[in-house]
Amino acid sequence: MSAPLPRVIRIALAGNPNSGKTTLFNALTGAHHKVGNYPGVTVEKREGSRVRGGRSFRFVDLPGTYSLTAYSLDEVVARDFILDEKPDVIVDVLDSTNLDRNLYLCLQFQEFGIPVVGALNMTDEAAAKGIEIDAENLGRVLGIPMVKTVGPRGTGIEELLDAVEARLEAPDEEPRMPGYGAELEAGIDRLRSLLASDPAFAARHPCRWLAVKLLEKDEHAARIAAGHPRGAEIEEAARESVRWIEGHFGKDSEIVVSEQRYGYIRGAVRETVRVIRKPNFSRTEAADKVIMHPLLALPVFAAVLWSVFQLTFLIGEYPMGWLETFFGWLARIVESALPGGLLKSLVVDGILGGVGGVFSFVPLIVILFFLLSLLEDVGYMSRAAFATDKLLHTFGLHGQSILPMMLGFGCSVPAILAARTLKSRRDRVATILTIPFMSCGAKLPVYVLLAGAFFPDDAANMVMLIYAIGVALSLASSLFLHNTVLRGEPTPFVLELPPYRAPTLRGVLWHVWEKSWQYAKKAGTVILAASVLIWALTTFPVREPAPGEADRRAAEYAADHPGAPPEEAAAWAEISRATSDLEYSAAGRIGKFIEPAFRPLGFDWKVGVATLTGFAAKEVVVSTLGVLYRTGLEETEESGTLKGALRADPGFSPRTAFVLMLLTLILPPCFASLAMIRAELGWGWLGFVVVYFLALGWGIGFAVNQIGSLAGFG
Amino acid sequence: MRLSEARIGQEFEILAVRIAREVGRRLADMGFTEGARGRVIRGGAFRGPLQVRIRDYDILLRRCEAAGIEVLPLGDLPAEGTVGPDFGFRFRGFRRRGSDGRGRREGGGRGFRGALGACGDREGPAAREGGS
Ligand SMILES: Nc1nc2c(ncn2[C@@H]2O[C@H](COP(=O)(O)OP(=O)(O)O)[C@@H](O)[C@H]2O)c(=O)[nH]1
Repeated sequence: MSAPLPRVIRIALAGNPNSGKTTLFNALTGAHHKVGNYPGVTVEKREGSRVRGGRSFRFVDLPGTYSLTAYSLDEVVARDFILDEKPDVIVDVLDSTNLDRNLYLCLQFQEFGIPVVGALNMTDEAAAKGIEIDAENLGRVLGIPMVKTVGPRGTGIEELLDAVEARLEAPDEEPRMPGYGAELEAGIDRLRSLLASDPAFAARHPCRWLAVKLLEKDEHAARIAAGHPRGAEIEEAARESVRWIEGHFGKDSEIVVSEQRYGYIRGAVRETVRVIRKPNFSRTEAADKVIMHPLLALPVFAAVLWSVFQLTFLIGEYPMGWLETFFGWLARIVESALPGGLLKSLVVDGILGGVGGVFSFVPLIVILFFLLSLLEDVGYMSRAAFATDKLLHTFGLHGQSILPMMLGFGCSVPAILAARTLKSRRDRVATILTIPFMSCGAKLPVYVLLAGAFFPDDAANMVMLIYAIGVALSLASSLFLHNTVLRGEPTPFVLELPPYRAPTLRGVLWHVWEKSWQYAKKAGTVILAASVLIWALTTFPVREPAPGEADRRAAEYAADHPGAPPEEAAAWAEISRATSDLEYSAAGRIGKFIEPAFRPLGFDWKVGVATLTGFAAKEVVVSTLGVLYRTGLEETEESGTLKGALRADPGFSPRTAFVLMLLTLILPPCFASLAMIRAELGWGWLGFVVVYFLALGWGIGFAVNQIGSLAGFG
Repeated sequence: MRLSEARIGQEFEILAVRIAREVGRRLADMGFTEGARGRVIRGGAFRGPLQVRIRDYDILLRRCEAAGIEVLPLGDLPAEGTVGPDFGFRFRGFRRRGSDGRGRREGGGRGFRGALGACGDREGPAAREGGS
């Protein structure tokens, strides 16, 4: 029998995590892909296509999973995609070095009654390990055509597409299904024929798959079966079969199903796969002797983390400087092109100043992501989880929380997204709530300024101390939340440990691009909006200067500083006008209004305003202080004038500077992160985050200030 | 014996996975089925996770999950497992009573406690059947 092939073939690309699925997807689709989300859930969906011989192969990358139960969101998404979208073919990527477990998923796809083609990936590694696979024979035994591939080299891609076409050209009369042994087959068959007794139902749902799922006591399958005209009868039959199986085998029926499936796989593999040498783990083993040594794992992790940050700042310095220069240049061009007034102020101070300031962190973030992606693709992240799980678990977190937490030192936005790798919502929430404590790149300039001004002798140590306090607080806060709002069980830690693999540059760059793009999109939208908002707050209502004000101020300055050149007096007048403008603006008024809240922390309204503007992006605190302390509009953390001005302010002391650093660390994160938290966790958690971090920041600031002043710290 | 009690380097055959519902199911999906053979490669310090090789791949799991896996030890205990750096590091002082999964107080919802306890709560099929 032969069917005319459709012009468009819709293919779902499935497979275990670490099977090389992403690499193969890239090799199959080239540069043509788009990234989105599966409807209604925060699981990434990648689509791409390849045209060959006038036919379009459309690929959808399913989340990598080990099975198709409802254990994780990923599994539910993969299952629902197959059930709802009914792709023409499922291409399952298999790690050839680990066929048993990879086929376990593959066979579950076969049960949907949709043609499956297997990509025996990692064949190079299998060959090196002495594993010989008779692909043709294996395909025949299972009824799943098998094609050998090597993802990074693109080997076998054309053959894979050939196999897809061949599979569609010659469909099976009676699709092959994995066997579960006589005892289970009796029950499966009975349920299947009951389900198939209604043709309309059978046309919509794969009956054999449902029958197996009913034996596995799958709730989703039970709900579907309940919609059958003979639903009650089926439910009773399923219950009876389950009871019989559990009595006969003496264990849970879902375990029996999974054992029988593995038994079936073993049979097929024994016939078609030969291991000519003992599997050789030597290279990975040798490295892990050190990297995963019980005593060394944690120090190695710390060293890796430290090197990543050193490298990031070392390399990042240059492009950061270029970008700053570029935005400065752009601002000057715009400044000279636009007529004076509000529009110019909006573009130069609001948009270019805000977004530009944030964009100059992009290189740092891209480099950090590059290094972390490299570690991820090499296979180090599972080792990091091994090293840190005990520690993190003690505080109600999970070994896999470590990657999002590390990304948090770069920028919270991609860090919050990275928490998606955690399978349970509880763990995801717990992890996301630690991220604001990780001092992101934008908080650093604030620390550097304050530490440099008030702790000139150990500025670097002071900054380190704040970072350390952040980490300690994140753990303490997790433990607190674990015992209050996030009770419930942390999910078990069951994590595959892949061997070390040479990453492909393309794969790493792809990951970097994805994460950086997420960041840039946020910077481009939320941060733009926030910058404009903060600009408006600090600009309106516009104060009309009194006639002759500038001259009066210049004269005052000249009187106070006899002998000062007139330009200096003019500059002073200009800055002092800016300060008065700010004081008059909505932000100044809000600052004064909330001053009572900042008083107990040892601050006046100026710090209130600076903190407020920090919600647009934390490093804006520095430039706001620059305006407020009349030191210049183009303030940077290096320039000595702001430091001097802060030191000269009797309201500021090392104690209050320390408190302000703590506030910068703890107060709710910037708008972009808040928007991300809302997208990932919803409005409820967003509200919680704002209230929680406000309360915590204020409480700690208050305690430190009061205790410090009692203890006599200046 | 329980997998959590196996020594480093110990080869074993799985007899049964005695962890209820989801986690037990997950372990079965990952290849922990009756008759499957494996080997304990190493364990983390302070009774951190175990690295176990099963079905030709390596997997990490916490000891409290491993405590729910019944295994049959195979062969002689390799010499390296008895002492050596992998094993000399068991600060008993840091272990909570019953952290090997037995004798843990059930339910345990009250009071302020480290998250360590939660893992223990997951053990023992009976303790969990009532849970959500
Ligand atoms: N030796 C070898 N390595 C591969 C192959 N396919 C992928 N890899 C590597 O395996 C690692 C994981 O691949 P990735 O595509 O990210 O896996 P995924 O988790 O399934 O998406 C990367 O470092 C790849 O370069 C292959 O066929 N042979």
